[in-house]
Amino acid sequence: MNHIIDILDNTPFADLSAGELSTIRAHVESCDDCEQAFEAARLSSLFLQERVSQAAEHAASANPFFQTRVMAAWREQQAGSAWSLRRLWNATGALVASMAATTAALAVLMFVAPATNTSDQQTAALAPYSAESVVLGADRDDNQLTNDQVISAIIDDDDEGK
Amino acid sequence: MKAFAQLKSFEGRGSMEGWLTRIATNTCLNMLRSAKRRPEVVNADLSDDETEFMETVSSPMGREELDAEQKVVAADLAERLLQTLSPEDRLALTMIDGEGASVNEVAQVTGWSESKVKVRAFRARKKAREVLEKLLG
Repeated sequence: MNHIIDILDNTPFADLSAGELSTIRAHVESCDDCEQAFEAARLSSLFLQERVSQAAEHAASANPFFQTRVMAAWREQQAGSAWSLRRLWNATGALVASMAATTAALAVLMFVAPATNTSDQQTAALAPYSAESVVLGADRDDNQLTNDQVISAIIDDDDEGK
Repeated sequence: MKAFAQLKSFEGRGSMEGWLTRIATNTCLNMLRSAKRRPEVVNADLSDDETEFMETVSSPMGREELDAEQKVVAADLAERLLQTLSPEDRLALTMIDGEGASVNEVAQVTGWSESKVKVRAFRARKKAREVLEKLLG
């Protein structure tokens, strides 16, 4: 006697063909064991499909809320990032501008001014006294005493001491 | 996180979607495997509603369309039935017998061979049938 349990275990209940179902029904009329197996297989398939459809219903009802939440969070994030950038610029714009100006000034001093100074220093080193200063005595310190004045001052002191 | 950590293992031969699905599937299976709980379902565990429902649906009169309440009980019973299976068997049975997926589709998602999918589904179907036979008996 060929039992139908192998057919039930090998094939999803919903996929049983009409031929297989008629074979099974014919067999279970005379086989109590297989009748119970057939009933169990039918219920197993029924329960599984109900579980799947319930899960699908839950998913379908959850999706709109999920989408709404995701979209709201996304918009909030977008708005937040734009606002934070603007606020950051407002807070630090003046500082950034002054830093840029300082940097530019330092760059000018570093790359332009040293070239001018160096040429002056070289000229001064080569010619510590210009022609004008020698002829006109322009750089002589007027407060500086001459040797004669120093000697006369010393002699005067000696005379006063006597 | 797992996909990001294993990004180097993606060779780019298949689709990114398939690769991610496989990682998600394997992660879920590992979590279920770690749970290691496979409670048996016996008549004494059934609630009054479930016992009444089993009697109703197994009678010739109860083979009509299920009402909303019966559908909820049926889904709960399916969940308890699936808890008695190993994670792999549960996955195979849910996808093939519940979702109507083909053996090939399950093989692609899980990375198993088609033979393995068939064996898992066969074993799961047999186990579920035997559990329900005990409940009916």
